[in-house]
Amino acid sequence: MNISDIQARCDRVPFFRFLDFTITQADETHLVAQMPFAQRHIGNPILETYHGGIIASFMEAIASICVLDDINAAPAKPINLNVDYLRPGFAGTLTTRATITKKGRRMASVETEAWLEDEAKPVAKALFHFLLV
Amino acid sequence: MSAKKDKKSAERFAAIAAMWNSRAKGLIREMKLEIEKADLKGVQIRMPFNPDFCLDEEGTMLHGGVLTALLDSAFGLANFVAIDSIESMATLDLRVDYLRPAKSRADVLVFADCYRQTRHIAFGSGKIWFDTGDKEEVARGTAAFAITRGTSGGFLDKLNATGPDK
Repeated sequence: MNISDIQARCDRVPFFRFLDFTITQADETHLVAQMPFAQRHIGNPILETYHGGIIASFMEAIASICVLDDINAAPAKPINLNVDYLRPGFAGTLTTRATITKKGRRMASVETEAWLEDEAKPVAKALFHFLLV
Repeated sequence: MSAKKDKKSAERFAAIAAMWNSRAKGLIREMKLEIEKADLKGVQIRMPFNPDFCLDEEGTMLHGGVLTALLDSAFGLANFVAIDSIESMATLDLRVDYLRPAKSRADVLVFADCYRQTRHIAFGSGKIWFDTGDKEEVARGTAAFAITRGTSGGFLDKLNATGPDK
């Protein structure tokens, strides 16, 4: 898939604009995107860390685009998710990589990882299931 | 519980709710959350419709991530209300089932409770529905939190000390 086509599609989704991420890499089974930190992403008002829901939303957004064969098709329907929060999400650019673990005719299972500076120190990992029909 | 103790609890819940509303920052403020109920039985919070949280420009459907964020926020408040002397907490993990498409422009309601707490861990569960009368659940979630207990209302004091947002 062409990165600029994917980005153009993402820019038409109001909530993706709210998250404000940029697609950086795309192939058949992977998608990588970066999101700069913003005040509206804060969860803990004292530590000023990312809201857990923003991290999960960013990962869900990237996972949902990753499973599409045709970027202009209807969005995949999320069934459920499971997030592990591994480290505090301090202010900084967050990178998410989504990897398709299994894609059938009806369902897809996607793994995601999100990190700040060091890919070896993920802030969160998650597993998403999507209905494709 | 004695009437005096009841009154003290009610005051504490009101103080937590007032603080949460007035010192809200970041996403919690963007979501324009309104606490409707907050006691040991759980919390209920209202989120008005916001087109920025939608999947489409026409604003017919909310993105699932918004529901996840709403559940996570509600779990946080439920923990502060239910756990005496909580100093800080961190979400360990979060599981959400999307039961129906979030297709409505009605206000979103979330209920969350801390249904079990130990010295170090709190367990929460919650559900989301639209304020349309039928109360059909749109999402359900559960989460586990690592909690740190301090001397007395540590987090509230710190929050108080940060002062109003500029």
